[in-house]
Amino acid sequence: MKIRTMGRLTREGCKNLFRNGWMSFAAVSAVAVTLLILGLSMILSLNVQHISSNIESQLQINAYVASNYPAKSLPALETKLKALPGVRSVKFVSKQQAMKEMKALLKQNQGIISGLGNPLPDEYVLQASNPRATPLLAKKVAGLPGIAKVQYGQSFIGKLFAVTNVVRDTAIVFVVALLIMGVFLISNTIKITIFTRRREIEIMKLVGATNSFIRGPFFVEGTMIGLVGALIPSAVLYEGYRWLVGNVTLFPPFTLLAPNDVLFEMSTILLLCGLFMGVWGSLVSVRRFLRK
Amino acid sequence: MIELQDVSKEYSNGVKALSGVSVRIKQGEFVYVVGPSGAGKSTFIKLMYREERPTNGHIFVGGFNIERLRERQIPIMRRHIGVVFQDYKLLNKLSVQENVAFALEVTEASRRTIGRRVKEILELVGLADKAHVLPQQLSGGEQQRVGIARALVNKPNVIIADEPTGNLDPENSWSILKLFERVNDRGTTVVMATHNRELVNATKKRVIAIEHGEIVRDEERGDYGYED
Repeated sequence: MKIRTMGRLTREGCKNLFRNGWMSFAAVSAVAVTLLILGLSMILSLNVQHISSNIESQLQINAYVASNYPAKSLPALETKLKALPGVRSVKFVSKQQAMKEMKALLKQNQGIISGLGNPLPDEYVLQASNPRATPLLAKKVAGLPGIAKVQYGQSFIGKLFAVTNVVRDTAIVFVVALLIMGVFLISNTIKITIFTRRREIEIMKLVGATNSFIRGPFFVEGTMIGLVGALIPSAVLYEGYRWLVGNVTLFPPFTLLAPNDVLFEMSTILLLCGLFMGVWGSLVSVRRFLRK
Repeated sequence: MIELQDVSKEYSNGVKALSGVSVRIKQGEFVYVVGPSGAGKSTFIKLMYREERPTNGHIFVGGFNIERLRERQIPIMRRHIGVVFQDYKLLNKLSVQENVAFALEVTEASRRTIGRRVKEILELVGLADKAHVLPQQLSGGEQQRVGIARALVNKPNVIIADEPTGNLDPENSWSILKLFERVNDRGTTVVMATHNRELVNATKKRVIAIEHGEIVRDEERGDYGYED
């Protein structure tokens, strides 16, 4: 196909958008509404994921050093801990330091422990690079010589992961279902617009237009519908989310993602979805009338 | 130029539209195809531009072996045959000029060639002053002229017309026929299916009569021959 012809088909496709004004409007609206809902649920699920990983990242392992462990071997123990696979950070808290923290915590009631000397052990605080691997890492830490006891919120961690798993899976199912629904909605809208143009396609074939010549403008139209249909919700969500983040104050771990982190990724996905819906919808529908 | 050899057409619903039709039309002839409704006229015409495929037999139009044509060659073949329809089949959203230009655009002609040819052809059919009007603002006769202009713009060797005057009053029918005669005078073959008895009887051209799917009469300088 010659360049000049492609230019012509592009121009024709753009003109068709206006010639079939109401149909284009309906198709753009269908794309925009679907993508708006999709974008909303994406923002929501991204933030839910963000919050649950916030919570997860606060998981830590407290490894208590045995009281009879010689102090001069502590550096070697620390090196071993750091060498364990899947460790993100290791922090040493000496028994003196732990005592100080304990006293600060108790404040006026310091008297309770004043006669006891210092019963607290030296302690390492570890974090796993993958929070979900915390129990596994804790087991390895417990196996090291010199570690007397390990704590990582055993009873609580299972429930936490169960909850965050459910939240994540629901969000994903929701998004996928929406996407499928949107594709049907749009392909139907475009099918209707093309159905009204069956006569047009028939005439073009009679005059000697090749299939790709007929398809060209429809392809361009689908692209434009998809683009415009994605830009509208992207802009709305961008402004809306920025406003929300600027006007709502939350406390950790319940924080919102920064607008620019979310929106760039989201707009890209919306744009791709819009293009896919528009192009796929129009080409699939036009194919029905080209075959005969 | 046009040759049908023992052509039969049976539709998938079992209707036998044509059976064993053989006919030969030479370059530059003007031929009327007549016959009662449902006799097979339309099928006869549609076979020639490959709107329908024959069940049996061979069809040659201007060097194309129609029934052997591949799907991809159909558009190429149609550019070499001008087809005119009873219901004009114009693109309603395009202006007169754009409708005619469309037939050239599909051939990927240059814009300058398109502009020049469209202007020439619109002058030939007498619609130069209505180039920018939409089809629906034109009378039936004028719309059919646009249809003919579109059929002619690729300089085909054959014009095939299916009841081109079927929706027109006598005056417009005559002027459309005059147009076809002018085209025929330049050496273009014209095959025209028609119900219009006055035209056929007044012009004395070759007449092929089809009844019950067979050619029952084929005469030079013939008459319409039916009472309807």
